[in-house]
Amino acid sequence: MSEDYNDNKTIQAQSSEAISGGGSVSPDLDYVRPAEIPDQDLYHGHSFLTKWVFCQDAKVIGVQYFLLATFTGIIGLILSWLMRLQLGFPGAAGFMTAEHYYQFVTMHGMIMVVYFLTALFLGGFGNFLIPLMVGARDMVFPYLNMVSFWSFFVAVAVLLASFFVPGGPTGAGWTLYPPQTILEGTPGSGWGILLMCISLILFVAGFTMGGLNYLITVLQARTRGMTLMRMPLTVWGIFTATVLAMLAFPALLVGALMMTLDKVLQTSFFMPTILKAGEVLEYGGGSPILFQHLFWFFGHPEVYIVALPAFGIVSDLISVHARKNIFGYRMMVWAIVGIGALSFFVWAHHMYVSGMNPWFGFFFATTTLIIAVPTAMKVYNWILTLWRGNIRMNVVMLWCLGFIITFVNGGITGIFLGNVSVDVPLSDTYFVIAHFHMVMGIAPLMVIMGAVYHWFPLVSGRFLDEKLGKWHFWLTFLGAYSIYFPMHYLGFIGVPRRYFEMYDSPYMTSAVGMNEFISTAAFIVGAAQFILIYNIIKTLKTGKPAGHNPWKANSLEWLTPKVPPEHGNWGERLPVVHRWPYDFSVPGAKEDFIPQTTPPSEVAHTEAEKT
Amino acid sequence: MISILKKLFGTLLEKPWESEQASIDNTHEGKTFNISVQKSAVIIIFGIATCLFSLIFTSYLYTLPPDQDTRYLLRPNLLWINTLILFFVTFFFAKITNDLEKKVTIKIKKNLIIVGGLTYLFLFGQIIFWFQLMKSGKFISTNSYFSSFYIFTALHGLHLLGGLFFWGKVASKVLKLEQNKILEEEKNISALSMYWTYLLIIWLAFFLMIFIFNDAVIDWCKSLIS
Repeated sequence: MSEDYNDNKTIQAQSSEAISGGGSVSPDLDYVRPAEIPDQDLYHGHSFLTKWVFCQDAKVIGVQYFLLATFTGIIGLILSWLMRLQLGFPGAAGFMTAEHYYQFVTMHGMIMVVYFLTALFLGGFGNFLIPLMVGARDMVFPYLNMVSFWSFFVAVAVLLASFFVPGGPTGAGWTLYPPQTILEGTPGSGWGILLMCISLILFVAGFTMGGLNYLITVLQARTRGMTLMRMPLTVWGIFTATVLAMLAFPALLVGALMMTLDKVLQTSFFMPTILKAGEVLEYGGGSPILFQHLFWFFGHPEVYIVALPAFGIVSDLISVHARKNIFGYRMMVWAIVGIGALSFFVWAHHMYVSGMNPWFGFFFATTTLIIAVPTAMKVYNWILTLWRGNIRMNVVMLWCLGFIITFVNGGITGIFLGNVSVDVPLSDTYFVIAHFHMVMGIAPLMVIMGAVYHWFPLVSGRFLDEKLGKWHFWLTFLGAYSIYFPMHYLGFIGVPRRYFEMYDSPYMTSAVGMNEFISTAAFIVGAAQFILIYNIIKTLKTGKPAGHNPWKANSLEWLTPKVPPEHGNWGERLPVVHRWPYDFSVPGAKEDFIPQTTPPSEVAHTEAEKT
Repeated sequence: MISILKKLFGTLLEKPWESEQASIDNTHEGKTFNISVQKSAVIIIFGIATCLFSLIFTSYLYTLPPDQDTRYLLRPNLLWINTLILFFVTFFFAKITNDLEKKVTIKIKKNLIIVGGLTYLFLFGQIIFWFQLMKSGKFISTNSYFSSFYIFTALHGLHLLGGLFFWGKVASKVLKLEQNKILEEEKNISALSMYWTYLLIIWLAFFLMIFIFNDAVIDWCKSLIS
């Protein structure tokens, strides 16, 4: 490295990304381009309200998103407990009718996918990490960012209000398929579905404001020396997921808007001619299948809106805690971008049982299987990063390993379901429940937990308790397997999903023991999550101080002058980046990490480029 | 577009860990594109809005039954005048851009007010047209042709209202500025100009679609097939 840097020949800038960042390289070893962009003018809150409630600091907004998403997630968790209580021990929850069950299913699904996972990954981690990781003082439009969070707040309030309106929340299933969603007979077909649609519209509007911030901050507000290919994979994951969200959420918006009009103004976007008790309704000419296309055009990219940030975050966690550079960084970036692009060409694999031209089925099965290629590349690269690494077997690493296992498990069953001929018989069984909970529920949750244990010292300045963390991990990991692994079997024997109870079907006897076991495991796993809440409260009071850069990481978020970082992040001067964030265990270096801000002259005798 | 794709793929081929690439990367200023954040925001909004309007177009085509009077909206009516107004808005924005280069402050201020006024006039015209439609018995629930028309015009109008919100903020600043300081708002004004031009294009695309997918064309297509 030193020899190359000392080479006095002028190198023409070739960074293809650097449209404006071209120029020639100075022979000075530590040369950096002088600051040309004026520093960002920030609004500093002075009162409690402007500092902590209507705050414009992305880090506070990130924590706000995190707390609110967690709150809605806990409601989703309680709903799942109630569902499992009914399935494992029918009648044990005396108040629960079939209508209640369907309402709980619907709200659990929508809450977990949109209001918990999406909000937490993009709103929570995105806001907290993007400005810090790219070396910015804040998001480019802080005011808009604040409005984004409060739109999310109102969206959640409207959604939860549906529990208290006449008829209760919608019980049409989280996919909200018309026409039954808005017709009498479906639970919550009045106020419930209306509030759900309004809430979704608010969510999308709010997210668009936030997403605009994430994209422009990443593209236009990075610090000097931070090229796109020097960004941590966490930022790549969140960035690409935001692009997906910006293109996919309009489909949800259009679907929700048209459904609202169908309900309120008797339009017929999704409503065909319908006979009800021998009487022809006013609707006619619409297409329920159109809604399915719109919903899944949003719904499948949504899987990757959740998964891509998880991929990025877990890559960084594995690299830091295995003390090794990420294996195949470029491939990891390509895979993130490739998966993002492909995710728009697979949506109809959710609609095989709705009926379609066989050639469409063939097309969507093919694209679905193709998307497994970049995904598998990522799994290989995580494993190869661990290979011969100096692995710290701490709680963060446990969550990462748990992620890889559950993700591979869920991914493989996805390959089953991607094929039309296999999907059709399995589609309405517990096999599907097992698949998507494993790949989209448990696997991202493992990453969230790993990320919480990893970045909590940055947020609070203290370490979370390791022993409690290990209890939390093992109960969650083994418990989640106890829930979802048997569900694959239930699916294979044909136990149908969406059933309130099995009545006198053969499944009443053959699956009853397994359902009891699954439900018991679900209660334990749910309760285990409160260990984290206890751990956080305990740590905030008496936790071990973490100090600066406790994990000895390289990325910028750990290099702020103060921990936790204050508003503006960087004190007087913005950091200057000299390298990628994965220089771990570099031969010749004094320590096993070289932070991104370390100039070449300080590590002149290392072989960073060969690691 | 091709150059952006080339740059994107070029970027993805970089090897940030190699010393040669590192020395190139060290000179990077941190911005990806040499445009202001305001323009970047408008371009991203174009992407989202294009997706949104394309989905409405697609939904319209998906549910368009053959027996609707799709020529109705094309008869001489207020829509044509509204379209003309939107053209004028874009024309005045072009003048503003021209004046920005020459730093003719008074004209910029005057034209900026005209732009806002004409946009309000357009929105007012659209609402009047809605009332005219409803008076003639063409409601949003009449059929999918009119449902799509109402929903499209509503969303287009909402986008314009959003633009007017930012126009208000920019105009109130510009009107107070002295001549030598007008360039401080140049980025905002050119972002607004881009936004209005985009909304004109979207409106024309919608208008064109009404032309193309009218009964006559559908009949002609059917005759070709038969």
